[in-house]
Amino acid sequence: MGTFLTRHRGMVPYLLLAPGLLWLAAFYVYPAFQMFISSFWSGTLETGFRFSLENWRTYPAALERYGEQFGRSILYALAATILTFLIAYPLAYTIAFRGGRAKNLLLFLVVAPFFTSFLLRTFAWKIILGDDGVVLGPLKDLGLLDPGFRLLATPIAVVSGITYNFLPFMTLPIYVSLEKIDRRLVEAAQDLYAGPWRPGGTIVGAVVGGGLFGLLGAIFAFDVLLMVGLGATAGAVVGTGFLSESFARVTFPLSLPGVFAGTLLVMIPALGDYVNAALLGNPSTTMIGNVIQTRFLVNADYPTASALSFILMAAILVVVTVYARLLGTENASAVRGI
Amino acid sequence: MHEIISRRRFLAGTGLAGFGAFLAACGSPGTGSPSPSAEASPSAAPSAPASAEPTPAPSLSSVLNFANWPLYIDTDENDPTKHKTLEDFKAEYGVTVNYAEVVNDNNEFFGTIRAPLEAGQDTGWDIIVLTQWMAARLVRLGWLEKLDHSHMTNFPANLEDAYRGADFDPNNDYHAIWQAGMTGLGYDSAVTGELTSVDALWDEKWKGRVTYLSEMRDAVTFALGRLGYKNSTVTREQFDEAIAELKKAVDAGIVRAFTGNEYAEDLVSGNVVLAMAWSGDIIQKQLERETLRFSIPDEGGNLWYDCMLIPKGAKNKYTAEVFIDFVYRPEIAAQIEAWVNYICPVKGAQEAIKAIDEELATNELIFPTEATYSKVSAFKSLTEEEERYFDDQFATLIGA
Repeated sequence: MGTFLTRHRGMVPYLLLAPGLLWLAAFYVYPAFQMFISSFWSGTLETGFRFSLENWRTYPAALERYGEQFGRSILYALAATILTFLIAYPLAYTIAFRGGRAKNLLLFLVVAPFFTSFLLRTFAWKIILGDDGVVLGPLKDLGLLDPGFRLLATPIAVVSGITYNFLPFMTLPIYVSLEKIDRRLVEAAQDLYAGPWRPGGTIVGAVVGGGLFGLLGAIFAFDVLLMVGLGATAGAVVGTGFLSESFARVTFPLSLPGVFAGTLLVMIPALGDYVNAALLGNPSTTMIGNVIQTRFLVNADYPTASALSFILMAAILVVVTVYARLLGTENASAVRGI
Repeated sequence: MHEIISRRRFLAGTGLAGFGAFLAACGSPGTGSPSPSAEASPSAAPSAPASAEPTPAPSLSSVLNFANWPLYIDTDENDPTKHKTLEDFKAEYGVTVNYAEVVNDNNEFFGTIRAPLEAGQDTGWDIIVLTQWMAARLVRLGWLEKLDHSHMTNFPANLEDAYRGADFDPNNDYHAIWQAGMTGLGYDSAVTGELTSVDALWDEKWKGRVTYLSEMRDAVTFALGRLGYKNSTVTREQFDEAIAELKKAVDAGIVRAFTGNEYAEDLVSGNVVLAMAWSGDIIQKQLERETLRFSIPDEGGNLWYDCMLIPKGAKNKYTAEVFIDFVYRPEIAAQIEAWVNYICPVKGAQEAIKAIDEELATNELIFPTEATYSKVSAFKSLTEEEERYFDDQFATLIGA
């Protein structure tokens, strides 16, 4: 064996790649190809389906009919990605820099929800957010909320569900990139007079906060101006209080690879998610995943369902490419290389 | 109460059905049949053009391949692979039943048997259980074996009268009902009081606290009732009106969501006070919230059922007929019923179940009275074209 490998050195990389490639070929490439073929089918389950290139029209027709759900998926996924980032970054930062002895326990707690199934965790939200549940019940009893107020079956519930379910995918990569940072770089920055970041932190905080809250406001149909105001104020306070110059110039840039990975890990599955919309939403919060599911399983409309899946894949590819250009993997690794 | 999860509830859990979507995507329909004895029998095709053949007395085979939905037969509490009914059958006839819980979705399963049936080959199954509208489709396509009533003594004799004369198979030549269910109003009587009219589903009073079912036939039946039409005679114009009526409730924000079985949890937690509901669910949920009630509205409710069918070319047709006749014995039907808690279509089972559990015999949701039966009706069998149109319009209504 040893001699075989020494004699055929060139083959080693291929041998190492083989299991992964075979796996991908069997469980990704082949099904994707099948799906591509079926998107050019016409016919019904009863008569059988026939392939014809003429059926490219399925694509524009599907896009036109379900444009709304596509748009909603993008908005919800975007909102969930932003929210996971806002929650995960401080969390990962605290664990990495202030975790101390509890670090492993804290990391375990981040991952702990994965011991329960995705579906059950989503069902749990129906109990937590119930109209008279543990959160809303007391608030209603105190008269702080209108008795008719509810969170379930609203866009907020859907986005919250996605945010919750994908939070660890954002937290872990950011944690890893923060953990790797050489602390001496931060000390060096401080030695070089990096202090509180004013007014930079205040401005960045206000702009980022205002922008994010404005977007959420638009998605949830809140008063956008009010949300921008709230976000800007909160962002300014946080930025002034917590953003130091060493963070802005050293720590954050060095954590960008983690942010990049986390964003993709959240954004991509969120775009195709349908469980949250199905369990926590209402008839006007359906996402493209719900449409694909219904087309496949209820209407047995395999061509349209396949076409929609392909459009979704293409959309994700575009988003990832644009994003990679903006924050670029090369760019990110270049930062790391400093 | 041994039965925790019913078949419908299981299905809801399969919001998971998306995995099914993957399955559907991965193979063109017709491939990858889950047949246990996947031997397509080319020899059988030319020699026996399936029709009543003048063969000598048929004999039992050693196995019977039975495809059913999950959690849909009496099951041993400690060993989920043991089913007393099947063991009883083996003890009496010496036939081993290959029982497979492989039916998770009517369309998906149809996809797995379409190709062999179309080619005139054996699907590998001797009995399959599918919902009435799918049974109607198979009858229409001529893909079922005709049940030879001369081989049977209990069927159709013991079939409850309410199920006779299905529009797709009036003499029960092809379908034998396995279990039935009714769709009516599920509500929290402590909040809403007694409800007997479908109009409650459109009542602004319960705005945002009402759920509708995501099954087209169930939801549409209520809207038809409200408009004064019947689901058994629905026309396309009436259907369009019904969709418009449902849309009014959606647009007014009365409908909180279109659901599968999740509505039952919402009724228990109080998020929802009124729901389109399946009879079996409410029985179980009353344990958790006593004030829950189920009623069939005066305007009518939907009667649905799953049927035992013998696919064309089945190898063990005679054995399948013997089995169907076996489960139409009142005591066997009672044994199954005591576990699955749906509506029992077998006459005499109500008497027989007393030996197992007195209370079940008086439960109107398992053994409905004549008066209840008179209010429900089965949805008309649709042509393929109608079905596609109906499903499509309904999908748009629910936002998908």
